[in-house]
Amino acid sequence: YSFSVEGDTIKVYVRVRPPSEGTVLTDGDQGLCLSVLSSNTIRLHSKPEPKIFTFDYVANMEATQESVFSSVAKNIVESCMNGYNGTIFAYGQTGSGKTFTMMGPSDSDNFTHSLRGVIPRSFEYLFFLIEREKEKAGSGKSFLCKCSFIEIYNEQIFDLLDTASAGLFLREHIKKGVFVDGAVEQVLSSAAEAYQVLTMGWRNRRVASTSMNRESSRSHAVFTITVESMEKNNEIVNIRSSLLNLVDLAGSERQKDTHAEGLRLKEAGNINRSLSCLGLVITALVDVSNGKQRHICYRDSKLTFLLRDSLGGNAKTCIIANVHPGSRCFGETLSTLNFAQRAKLIKNKAVVNEDTQGNVS
Amino acid sequence: MAAAGPGGAEWAEVCDKFRAARTLSSVESRKDPETEPYRSKYSARALLQEVKQLLSAAEEGGEARLLAVRRAVLEYELGVNHTDTEELSAGEEHLQRCTQLLEPHRLSPDCVSLYIQAQNNLGILWSERDEIKTAQTYLESAEALYNQYMKEDGNPPLDPSEHFMAEEEKLTDQERSKRFEKAYTHTLYYLAQVYQHLEMIEKAAQYCHTTLKRQLEYCGYYPVEWALNAATLSQYYLSKQCFMESRHCLAAASVIFSQAGQVPSAEDSEAEQDQQDLRQRKAEIARCWIKYCLNLLQSARKLLEDNVGELDPDRQLELKAQRKKEEDEKENGRKKAVLFGTSDIYDSVLAMEEKVSSVYPLDFQEAREIFLVGQNYVQEAKEFFQVDGYVTDHIEIVQDHSALFKVLAFFEEDYERRCKMHKRRIDMLEPLYADLNPQYYLLISRQLQFELADTYYEMMDLKVAIGNRLEELDSHTIKKINSLAQLAIKYYELFLDSLRNPDKVFPEKLEEDVLRPAMVAKFHIARLYGKLITSDSKKQLENMQTSLEYYTFLVDYCEKYPDAVHTVETELELSKEMVGLLPTRMERLRAKLCPFI
Repeated sequence: YSFSVEGDTIKVYVRVRPPSEGTVLTDGDQGLCLSVLSSNTIRLHSKPEPKIFTFDYVANMEATQESVFSSVAKNIVESCMNGYNGTIFAYGQTGSGKTFTMMGPSDSDNFTHSLRGVIPRSFEYLFFLIEREKEKAGSGKSFLCKCSFIEIYNEQIFDLLDTASAGLFLREHIKKGVFVDGAVEQVLSSAAEAYQVLTMGWRNRRVASTSMNRESSRSHAVFTITVESMEKNNEIVNIRSSLLNLVDLAGSERQKDTHAEGLRLKEAGNINRSLSCLGLVITALVDVSNGKQRHICYRDSKLTFLLRDSLGGNAKTCIIANVHPGSRCFGETLSTLNFAQRAKLIKNKAVVNEDTQGNVS
Repeated sequence: MAAAGPGGAEWAEVCDKFRAARTLSSVESRKDPETEPYRSKYSARALLQEVKQLLSAAEEGGEARLLAVRRAVLEYELGVNHTDTEELSAGEEHLQRCTQLLEPHRLSPDCVSLYIQAQNNLGILWSERDEIKTAQTYLESAEALYNQYMKEDGNPPLDPSEHFMAEEEKLTDQERSKRFEKAYTHTLYYLAQVYQHLEMIEKAAQYCHTTLKRQLEYCGYYPVEWALNAATLSQYYLSKQCFMESRHCLAAASVIFSQAGQVPSAEDSEAEQDQQDLRQRKAEIARCWIKYCLNLLQSARKLLEDNVGELDPDRQLELKAQRKKEEDEKENGRKKAVLFGTSDIYDSVLAMEEKVSSVYPLDFQEAREIFLVGQNYVQEAKEFFQVDGYVTDHIEIVQDHSALFKVLAFFEEDYERRCKMHKRRIDMLEPLYADLNPQYYLLISRQLQFELADTYYEMMDLKVAIGNRLEELDSHTIKKINSLAQLAIKYYELFLDSLRNPDKVFPEKLEEDVLRPAMVAKFHIARLYGKLITSDSKKQLENMQTSLEYYTFLVDYCEKYPDAVHTVETELELSKEMVGLLPTRMERLRAKLCPFI
């Protein structure tokens, strides 16, 4: 008799993109800074000692879009149908293949393209499962899918489905958790529709980046699908709702000015202003003491606040770390792999989201 | 020597170029496009090089010292320019040359400020190379130089920019002093960070404190930001149990915050947003005050409690006598070191401080005064952090409110009144828990389950104690005890259920973070079943059986996972004892039930 509970830790996947078109490089070639040893280990050619990293899954350069989807996202979409919240993060430096992995070839909005990425495939699979459920349960079960798409830039929140709107705010609801106040919610009835909304929003992101001098690699984009199911069983109505978050994180090379900077001193701000980061220094002093009652006046970043549930909270979460194998990218690749390794330490607790209402009718 | 001579046309040109370079570097560079982030800095650099050329052309015949100092200014500007554009090695060379040129004159009024700023920048430069120890030596030497200069001379020194100014533009003494002090404040600010990185926490805190103090003295602050920083620093002092310092920071935070201009209520949304921000900051400071009151009360409780957690009257008398003896003296010594503000601000801070004590409360009356201050801040904080929109913050505040009641109850001698205080806690926590969706607030939900369970448990204990004083337990008290026990069991069970996996299975091995609470919950449930009062012997036997099962869980678990033992030592010991005793007791009861078998 063996009993195993599925690990609740965040799953971490690494995908290595091919160098660049036209150049054929083999393992151990001078131009490469890493090699994939097996489906879950990777060796970084660091000096003097090479470094071995182990992850839940490592996709080598030859991995197909289909195989990445099945090993990474399929499980999360299924969990989402079973009432869990799920989040898929994409992480990596600009040019490491994040967009290709998540969306597909950049020049096409084509939902049916054979190289389409994790997101369109997740949509297809989600709606496939919904249809199957509906057939199985007949008229007793119904579904409602809604989505929203926001962008976090410079600690401000923008609605990609309503470009006219100004900055939005995060709020909390005792029943619904954290939400973006005033974000447009669009009802979805098919995978194709979901993809249409996504690409429309994605385009807005690019438009915005020129009109407001924003750089897309500096912003995080969060696409959220809410799946609500309602099942009638005699007198009882079972409502389940879960979220599927697809997150495109800002290019990891842009994180420098936040936390990856190690020992650097924060410099004094503007001439007539107070010393801008003193508060952060003090906060760090207070953080050291644990177990004591204290209040810190400085809040988390918007992204971590919004996705609090997905990071060490109540959800199934995976991170796809994308790396470029070129030796020029050694530094970035190392920091991405280190980040991914750290992410594995975050623990998640997943609990079924079931709310039973006695219906006396 | 026209170029170096004051008033000459060439000199005027040099000054113009220098000024233009400074403007490019500090003003224009902020407007540079993303694609060419250093455009203005590069133009500034070119201008500085030109000035350098002009200066060396003028070398012969000029006064050597004057020239050296001017060169040092240029080397400084070039050094900063190179580090700004990520050319650290070149930047270091220039800065080093600057300090070399100044070395012989570093204590004279025309050089000291520049020398300190060069040291500051070398500190930053070395920190960027992850060599914090080297950074430390530069910054500490800047600090030492400032102190030496102030001791030996103390007159407002020249600002580096004045070396390239016409005579009539030179700064006033007041302005000179302001800029010099600012450079030194920066030194302290960087040192605060250096010490933090080196994990010299106490020293880092001291430098943060001094930085805040100097910001106030030299008016270099934004009230809201300053107030938040001071309030945060108060929380550091709390963790060190330095209540006098903590209160001083908080009082100063509140006084300075009230200086922050009330934005006139305008229609435009931006002003409304500012108002909103201001209200939030005010609530944040209130929350720091709440923690102050809570910590002071809790620390006092620790000092006063006996080995079963009750107020120890001997200890109380002892501490009261001790307090009389050492009042003031010690504190005054410490106080001088940390005082904020100039006289007018200081008076307001003092007035603010008088509203709440910073010494341990030793009886109910003293505890109540602190409690009431804390409770007022709870109301203030809740005004902004309403449950609709700020669930987490709101609940945290209510949890603090409950904790305030809990610790106040410790000081209350009357059991009935104490019980009422716990009832107040239940009344504020239960409705929040009922509404809370554990799908999104699992952690808070567990905290509330546990706290509710513990509160009912405590109330039950109090009712038992009250009952024990009676000659005979009346049915009303029995009912009360049983219902409180049942409610405690209910919430402990809810907590334990929240640990189950989706298939409703309780984990074989408990996670580190829930191990202690889960074991305590099991232990308390075991005790609660033991406390249930019933005249029905069969029922009593059942309760004993359940109780035994829960005790056994603890014993078995610790046998299987010996790592768990140290987290529940006392509980485990008692459980083992009960596992030994209960079966005999049950046997006896069974024999009484069926005497003929």
